[in-house]
Amino acid sequence: MADTEDIIEGSDDEGEPMKASEVLQKLEEAWITERMSPTLEKHHSEYVDCMLDQINQMSENLKRCKKHDFRVAIHKMEIDRIRYMISSYLRLRLEKIEKFTHYLLEKERTISDENLAILSENELEYAKGYASSIESHFQTMVLQHVPENLRNFDPGKMGVKPNLDSFVFLKVKESTPAVLIEDDSGEGRDEEVDLDEGSQHLIRYRPISHLLNSEAVTLI
Amino acid sequence: MDSAEVEFLAEKSPITIVPNFAQEKLYLISGDVGPFNPGLPVEVPLWLGINLRQRGKCRIVPPDWMDPEKLTEKKDEESQSKNFTKMPCEHYLVVAQLVLTAATEDIPNSQQIKTLIKDIWDLRVAKLRSSVAEFIQSEGTRAKLDHLTLLEINSVRPFLPHSLDHLYRFSKTAFNSNLSQSQTQDYS
Amino acid sequence: MLADKVLELIRELERSKDGQMSTFNEDAIRLVLEEMNTLFEQNQQDVNATVAGDVRFFSGVHLRHAALERNKRCLLAYLYNRLERIREMRWEFGSILPGYIRATMCEPEIQWFNKYNKTLATYMRSLGEGNGLDLTQDIKPPKNLYIEVRCLQDYGEFEIEEGDTVVLQKNTTHYLLMAHCQHLIRQGILEHVE
Repeated sequence: MADTEDIIEGSDDEGEPMKASEVLQKLEEAWITERMSPTLEKHHSEYVDCMLDQINQMSENLKRCKKHDFRVAIHKMEIDRIRYMISSYLRLRLEKIEKFTHYLLEKERTISDENLAILSENELEYAKGYASSIESHFQTMVLQHVPENLRNFDPGKMGVKPNLDSFVFLKVKESTPAVLIEDDSGEGRDEEVDLDEGSQHLIRYRPISHLLNSEAVTLI
Repeated sequence: MDSAEVEFLAEKSPITIVPNFAQEKLYLISGDVGPFNPGLPVEVPLWLGINLRQRGKCRIVPPDWMDPEKLTEKKDEESQSKNFTKMPCEHYLVVAQLVLTAATEDIPNSQQIKTLIKDIWDLRVAKLRSSVAEFIQSEGTRAKLDHLTLLEINSVRPFLPHSLDHLYRFSKTAFNSNLSQSQTQDYS
Repeated sequence: MLADKVLELIRELERSKDGQMSTFNEDAIRLVLEEMNTLFEQNQQDVNATVAGDVRFFSGVHLRHAALERNKRCLLAYLYNRLERIREMRWEFGSILPGYIRATMCEPEIQWFNKYNKTLATYMRSLGEGNGLDLTQDIKPPKNLYIEVRCLQDYGEFEIEEGDTVVLQKNTTHYLLMAHCQHLIRQGILEHVE
């Protein structure tokens, strides 16, 4: 299994190569965060592609192994675990894309920094296809049969939006002092919180969402 | 998160096994394991340890903390402390369940260990329940939850975050309607 | 009663909440659409009267318009909720739906299902730089579940994973992968020791 045993090509933000095990760890964090976040987080297709590549290569290598090789079953078990995690992660994302389609497409349009893109290229295609299929179904079944002044369809008004004021559990990876927790409920209880490394909090999603992008915190 | 997912995450925890076979190092994607030599302890991920154990290829060495004396100490500490104490293993309950199911014979005093772990869990969950009640009554807007393990957090999910979502929505609505009332007055 | 018919559709959704699909209610939809056109025509007349200076009809126009908006919204909600359920079926049954489910769908819904199928397939094929990944698999965390079994009769050699074999002799017990030996349990050659 020479191909996959040490370092892989994928790289993190600093351009340094990451080990496969580190990418796997990142993917796991992204998966759990996605599982717990009320909305869709920025995409991590770089981790997904890297891990899919790893398990595909490993599967290829296993074909060359003798059938009786003790190692085969163990590698297969690991491949199953990783494939499950990737599938679950991408499924969670599709579910949110289908639920918040219009909201996400609108939001994506306002993001200029490629590194913060919420939808991957493939997901963007998917979202557009899904949105148009729903709208054309509405047209065929109802909208073209109703009086003219009611034929318009405003997904912004009718679409489902995520509740960004949901409470979430988070774990701090990098200490971040003085995070402003604004209180929109108008009780004038804005406050600043120091998030110390390793600490865990139950907190509203909106004020900390930017810390998920910088990976200073993860949801648990 | 459902219990199968929590278990999946717990299965990543390291466990020491004593293999009865020889095998060179394995280059897993999640990191190298081995080499395996008969009679020599080696650390592996729990999912692998359990699998090897089920196939009769090793015995499992109980983790340090899986010991009646240590667990009794932990239980005392937990009952005396107002806060949650740090657990020796992030997934103590799940790891204990998995190991004790797959390898009861490898763990001395397994029955006693089971009872102690259950006691510690009960203590912590009771503590969690009362602090949740206190927290909601105090109309807190956030809480620090150091040392709570994933399964414990899961035990108040989705009830606790959902209740807070609702409380927040109420106060926001109340605020906005006050606001629009006062605005109406301004214009009149 | 005004905008009553459409409520029936919403109630229908509510009743079939356990994941079952009721038959597409074409009749109810047609009746609602008819009501909408009637309301619209009545409004046209009253709007003309209002414009001509007679303000008595003004509130009626508002009321009918509210009913029209409500009808539209409920119709779309009916359609949307059914699509959501059809979507779930794709994940549950795969790309070919059982006949009894297709029978509950209208033609445009079947077309929507096919389109959804295609969008999903395109996405899944694109994963892993074109190698593809079937997301409808691996729904639960993998469990290599071994179970203890006892042989109820002599069976002889049985190949387990990676080419290992075990000899299944009457009254011997073994740890085997559940997935591998389930058929032998069903055939009564092995029994699961609890």
